[in-house]
Amino acid sequence: MKRSLLFTLSLITTLMLATTVFAEEARNFFKVGVVIELSGDLATGGNVTKRGYDLWAQEVNAKGGIDIKGKKYQVKLFYADAQSNPSSGASAAERLITQEHVDFILGPYSSGVTMAVAPVVEKYKIPMITGSAESPLIWTNKFVYTFGTVPPVNFSGATPINTLASLNPAPKTAVILGSNDTFSKATAEAFKAAAEHAKIKVLKFNIVPAGQDLTPLLSAVRGLKPDLIAFGGHDEELIKMVKSLRQIDYTPKALLMHYGVTEPAFVNALGKDANQVFGASVWTANAKTSSKILWPNAASYAAASMKAFNTPADYTQAGSSAAGIAFQVALQKIGATPGMSEAQRTSLVKALEQVDIDTFYGKVKFATSGQYYHANVGMTPLTVQIQDGKTVIVGPANIKDAAPQYPMKAWKGR
Amino acid sequence: MELLPQALMDGILLGGIYITIAIAFSLTYGVMHIIDFAVGEWIMFGAFAGFYLNKWTGLDPFLLLPVVFVIFGLIGCLIQPVIHRVLSGSKGNPLLMGLVFTFGLGLMFQGLAMTVFGFYSNSTPSMFSEGSFFFEKFGFSLTISTVRLAGLIYALAITMALHYLLKKTNFGLGVRALALNKDSAGLMGVNGKRTGALVYGLYVGVTAMTGVLIGCILSVSAGMGPQYTIFAFFVVVLAGMGYLAGVPWAALLLGMVQSIFLIYFDPGHTLLAVFAILYTILLISPKGLFGRGV
Repeated sequence: MKRSLLFTLSLITTLMLATTVFAEEARNFFKVGVVIELSGDLATGGNVTKRGYDLWAQEVNAKGGIDIKGKKYQVKLFYADAQSNPSSGASAAERLITQEHVDFILGPYSSGVTMAVAPVVEKYKIPMITGSAESPLIWTNKFVYTFGTVPPVNFSGATPINTLASLNPAPKTAVILGSNDTFSKATAEAFKAAAEHAKIKVLKFNIVPAGQDLTPLLSAVRGLKPDLIAFGGHDEELIKMVKSLRQIDYTPKALLMHYGVTEPAFVNALGKDANQVFGASVWTANAKTSSKILWPNAASYAAASMKAFNTPADYTQAGSSAAGIAFQVALQKIGATPGMSEAQRTSLVKALEQVDIDTFYGKVKFATSGQYYHANVGMTPLTVQIQDGKTVIVGPANIKDAAPQYPMKAWKGR
Repeated sequence: MELLPQALMDGILLGGIYITIAIAFSLTYGVMHIIDFAVGEWIMFGAFAGFYLNKWTGLDPFLLLPVVFVIFGLIGCLIQPVIHRVLSGSKGNPLLMGLVFTFGLGLMFQGLAMTVFGFYSNSTPSMFSEGSFFFEKFGFSLTISTVRLAGLIYALAITMALHYLLKKTNFGLGVRALALNKDSAGLMGVNGKRTGALVYGLYVGVTAMTGVLIGCILSVSAGMGPQYTIFAFFVVVLAGMGYLAGVPWAALLLGMVQSIFLIYFDPGHTLLAVFAILYTILLISPKGLFGRGV
């Protein structure tokens, strides 16, 4: 009896294993792992990033899949929630790699989680492109298997400060604050370096606890009467910051933030108080781009996003779709089919290093050396401003759509 | 030095927000011995209720407070029997079961909110949110935001109302009797189940109203709950677990520490300062600021 039970169990196990192996070999689609923040503090950015990846997958599959030597392979996304927590992100990536056997990974929204996932993909030699993370620290670590389509903040953050410094009369003093997370700290540091370089005196520079009510600190800032307040933070923190400034009734000449200003939620939540806030971006729906891959230009991508999600696309979503395109082009170049070997994945990294393409998002070209190693350096950073509830490019001067509105109109007069 | 009046005022106003977060939380622990880890989620649901009711009716969120109180009070009364069942079980440790149960409830609520309300942050507009009072004399200046002042007044009103309810009414007498000894109170004619349901309803209703207020002062999002759970817990522990009269003082102390630290010291270490003070006070007086906690 016992022997027959043992035999049955072994048979079932063998059959299950055989089925798995068979399923792996017979796979005619690319398994794409997606590690993102679907819950927790950073769920907004995580879900925007997801939209970018989803839209790429939908568009590729609608066209029959990725064309590899005349045969089309569909892509299927396998999600794992990083819960806005770096260690959960690392575990999620490990699970996708060891249990789901994904071919490659589309990376997290936040820099903190990306920094935790990068060593895992390095260990298993699985290529990853993050369509969002912007901290320079990711790239100075020189991870071979990690790439990013959004340029680091020290590459893009100087542009809005330079735009402001070119105004007449230019802001002379600044207070720069950053929330205590990898991206926001790097943003604040980039703003500070650029301000000092542009001869704007930095009166106060503080890294503040993430998510907290900063009203008392802003009361102290008001005492310094800075011309410019620059803040590195995430969506909800930016909304709280504007509301706090409104509540203590201090209007600086310019208020500069980074990611989050271009999110539709910023304008929806703040209404007229969102107007004239400056931000940094690398892409808007009006960006003048042209491409032969998937979407011909920025406007057609923006329209596709509206159709799919009924929400305007921002640069994080666009950068995430562009991450998919970069993989697609590199896979076509090496002619890799689903279920890639380690050697093929290493070739994929080499192919990604050679990517130099024009997409709806702009040029995607990853640096292969230096401080921006594997970050996209093909883009032109933009200064944006919310004008009448819309995101408008106001710098650099040669590509602006409208003149910057400066100084800011007082809160009470709006 | 010229910032001192502002630092103190900001501390008081911040303390006002903390009072509203913690007062009902303390009540429900004092009476029912429930440490409700879903407190932040009730705040979040209240904030969304305020946001949507304002959107649909166009009425100011402050006018909608009674509506939110009634809706969430009813929800609380309906949920309490389930929590009561978990807490009064004969197996395991009921207090621990209650903790795990409300923690799970909180997680479920977060997931539900993310699915229903989406992941974007919102803000509830109010007639108070745009104004502020400004004073300037003898080189000192002071700004008081109208919406935060309204929040402080609300916090004090709720504290006084709860105090009155507990100390001056028959219902309050029953509640206090239940808190002291459930069996004896039952023998004296206090209906434990009904009173428990009403207290939990009161707690959920008041906490949801706090959510409406936070939506006006700060922001509204599906993930906003956990940070308020932590602050509610801080205040209640500092006040002494279940000691209602200690809550306003503990909340004001917490607000003041945060404000002074943000203005005069390194803002990056504000939470460290808050923790350090909490630990020091608990080391000296384990039953909270006034030594009156459970």
